[in-house]
Amino acid sequence: MSDSPPSTGWSHGPLPANVRLGPNSLLTADYAFKRFLTQCDPGLVVGANCTLDGVHFAIGREGRVTIGDYCFFTNAVLLCELELRIGNYVVIGWNATIADTDFHPLAPAERVADAIACSPLGKGRPRPPIARKPVIIGDDVWIGPNATILKGVTIGTGALVEAGSLVTRDVPPGARVLGNPAQIIPLA
Amino acid sequence: MNADRSLPWDWFPGRIPTNVTLDPDAYVETTYSFQLCRSRRPDAVRIGRGASIYLGVMFDLGLHGKVAVGDFTLMNGSRIICDSEVSIGDYCLISWNTVLMDTRRIPLDVAARRRALEQFSERQPRQPDIDGSGRPIRIADKVWIGFDSCILPGVTVGEGSVVGARSVVDQDVPPFTIVAGNPARIIRKLDPDSPGGVDTSPRSPG
Repeated sequence: MSDSPPSTGWSHGPLPANVRLGPNSLLTADYAFKRFLTQCDPGLVVGANCTLDGVHFAIGREGRVTIGDYCFFTNAVLLCELELRIGNYVVIGWNATIADTDFHPLAPAERVADAIACSPLGKGRPRPPIARKPVIIGDDVWIGPNATILKGVTIGTGALVEAGSLVTRDVPPGARVLGNPAQIIPLA
Repeated sequence: MNADRSLPWDWFPGRIPTNVTLDPDAYVETTYSFQLCRSRRPDAVRIGRGASIYLGVMFDLGLHGKVAVGDFTLMNGSRIICDSEVSIGDYCLISWNTVLMDTRRIPLDVAARRRALEQFSERQPRQPDIDGSGRPIRIADKVWIGFDSCILPGVTVGEGSVVGARSVVDQDVPPFTIVAGNPARIIRKLDPDSPGGVDTSPRSPG
């Protein structure tokens, strides 16, 4: 068995230089920063008293992520090429995914150019512009397991995103959403 | 299972918790599945005769959680998030990346939730028993749940029913019914007595 994990900080040693981790915040998972490519400083700001267990920070070169205080994430996947802003007291469930980009262009010709640029033969070729819009998650939001939040979405304070939902549009404060695409459904 | 409750074939250096009852004819691939089993009940998990629990199944149980897995049931990569009770019948087939949750793990009241998260951040180690309540879920016998599906708190899935891949089930499913979609809706009925299983009576939708 491994040694007991530290009570705060990153469980796997020194953090990347452009990460700010607040007091009493705990970050576990050995693969947390395997796709942490952001050149921004800071690229990731985590507030105080957070527990981020098994979170995957896949942050592109220009991505910036800010997370408030007292957040609790379990195995969330955060995909960010521009901006992801998460408030205080936010809870995110297992395998939930948040993305602020489509990663590739929509138009077929541009997608071909992108496939070539991304290939081993595309060295130095610029990629076409790709849609990205910030994702903003308010205070006291709960996001259930297996849920997906797409680019440009704002989730209002205190909203509940049920497990497995696919959120493509803004969620008003205090609403409960469910489904693919997610719709407002009153609490049963 | 070895005398020390480890598994001879296990890649993970763990043990089957003492409050997990494993039928001698059940198969558990790895004790890693019990890493998040924090229940203090003496009967926390029961796994029936001929049941198989493969890699990726996670028994994520809070302090009062109780899970029963029936005979000949096959589970392959489910996340069971249980603070009250999850019961799974006999001859069930439960696919990968499914979520069976009887709890949201947080109080719905925002002020109570903030207090709970503040207390949680002071806990050592940080065990997420933020809210011990839950609404039990029940999967009856002979149910088949497709991959990536979620079963939400309080749901009962009736005998012999099928939940299609990537469904999210937020309401009870009657027996011998195929449901699919997010949120899940009824696709058609199954006939337990016909060889092909499909109900061909005129009343059956689809």
